Amino acid sequence: MINPIVSANELVKTYSKGLIALNNISMVVNKKEVLVVMGPSGSGKSTLIRTFNGLESFDSGELEVVGITIGTDPEDRKVREIRKRVGMVFQQFNLFPHLSILENITLAPIQVQRKNRIEAEDHAMELLSQMGIEKQAKKYPIQLSGGEQQRVAIARSLAVNPELLLFDEPTSALDPERVNEVLDAMRKLAQDGMTMVVVTHEVSFAKEVADRVVFMDSGKIIETSSPNVFFNNAKEERSRKFLNQIIK
Amino acid sequence: MAILLMKKINKLINNVKRTMFTSSLDTFISLFITSILFVCTVKLSKWFFLKANWTVVEENIPLFLFGVFPADQRWRPSLWLIILISLVVLTLFTPSWSFFRKLLPFAWIAVIPIGIALLAGGIGLSPVASRYWGGLTLTIFLMMSSLFLAFPFGIILAFGRQSKLQLIKYFCSIYIETLRAIPLISILFFGQLLIPLFLPVEIEINRVLRSIIAFTLFVSAYIAEDIRGGLQAIPKSQIEAAKSLGFNTFQITRFILLPQVLQIALPALTNQAVGLLQNTSLMSILGLVELLGISRSLLANPKFIGQYMEVYVWLAAIYWFICTIMALVAQNIERKTTLVKLI
Repeated sequence: MINPIVSANELVKTYSKGLIALNNISMVVNKKEVLVVMGPSGSGKSTLIRTFNGLESFDSGELEVVGITIGTDPEDRKVREIRKRVGMVFQQFNLFPHLSILENITLAPIQVQRKNRIEAEDHAMELLSQMGIEKQAKKYPIQLSGGEQQRVAIARSLAVNPELLLFDEPTSALDPERVNEVLDAMRKLAQDGMTMVVVTHEVSFAKEVADRVVFMDSGKIIETSSPNVFFNNAKEERSRKFLNQIIK
Repeated sequence: MAILLMKKINKLINNVKRTMFTSSLDTFISLFITSILFVCTVKLSKWFFLKANWTVVEENIPLFLFGVFPADQRWRPSLWLIILISLVVLTLFTPSWSFFRKLLPFAWIAVIPIGIALLAGGIGLSPVASRYWGGLTLTIFLMMSSLFLAFPFGIILAFGRQSKLQLIKYFCSIYIETLRAIPLISILFFGQLLIPLFLPVEIEINRVLRSIIAFTLFVSAYIAEDIRGGLQAIPKSQIEAAKSLGFNTFQITRFILLPQVLQIALPALTNQAVGLLQNTSLMSILGLVELLGISRSLLANPKFIGQYMEVYVWLAAIYWFICTIMALVAQNIERKTTLVKLI
């Protein structure tokens, strides 16, 4: 039995106003799996994946990510160790505006992993051409379209050779005609066997790429199914309601 | 040729008509301001060319530049000023791609110890006590060394104020708020009169150093606030992105925050530098013969009695000139470091 990459055990997180973001969440993410998390806004799906790399803390429960166990008050050292091995792609890209595309990608390998510059740059160029944007290497984030910026962000998180990639609504901030170029890049990654947890509303992507779909509502996991079951014949009433709303 | 000229004049007249004389109120305001300007210009130039006696300036140029620095050693402050001027020229005219440009920040930092070595002497040069330093040299020296010390101190204070450690946070906040609440002149008095009281008798800090410490304490609080303004302009999500790449707090500060913060805060920091230059003149009432101080002692000389106007106009011109150069250098740095507009 291979250990899962993420295993969450009864995670609870409550915000100060009594809002429950995570309500007793237990789940696993297996190696080489693509897990899509869906749910209405405010259902806690972003909070959930942000706990996976320590951007959010939780009030009770236990979490194991890439073999490192953290509790409610984790040590900085452990959290950083997790972050070095888990990449994250954000809705708003969050590239560093004062650095060129190439510098954005090589900063972490050079400063965190202590790779030498030439090696890091070679790897970065390889990743950029994999994303189809090697010509933009010398430009600055602001000169790129949203879709290109998001592909740079993916390349940046790949540059540290992560064992797991987290995507927090990666296409929600994009113009509709730019969505596919990002999804295509993600499809390729999935084919290459990258373990991914993706929060998204992109039904076609989920249908085609996901191994499992997790549906969340008000901080709870309502249903975990294969995409085939989830989209055609969801087990839970609430899942079906949600699907009716997003698929017209 | 003539037609072309006529056309140009016509255009100019039209322009003037359009911008200054569209309505009767406009016409009135335009005429009023123009006549005031005219009268002022005539009176000023009359004074400037006919009445003013510029010998007080002409005869005392070395005093304005170097104060009472020993006459046979004047080449030392001169050399330092020349180094400074060449640095300014280099900063303004080296292209941004040049390798040399990367060395410029170090040259600017090195210029302060070089200044100390040249002014104070010691290594191979005959020592000159700081009470003989003066004039423009001292003004610039005060400004540059205070800035040089206040800058890192201000950065540390600004980041300290955001610290998660409560003790550091409160210390920095209280420091900044207190220093900003006290007038500069009382801090300078504090530096001159009280610092010696706190120190044991055998340690004697000279006046120049004491005023540099006082200026540093004061300006660093303001610099800290400018830096904090820059810090707040950077979205939290960028810090999250950096964290999720595995950077530690120091690396985030060094590689993500500082470069952006300095670029955003540069105009405000330039303001502090210009303000500091002018505030050094306060030291003239605390016993330093910097630019204003030396002028005051000049005016006390019976030979030049009553020539206030000439001396103060001359001083104003010097301060204006240096401030302009500082503004130019700042603009230049801004242009050459701004690869992309951040906000």
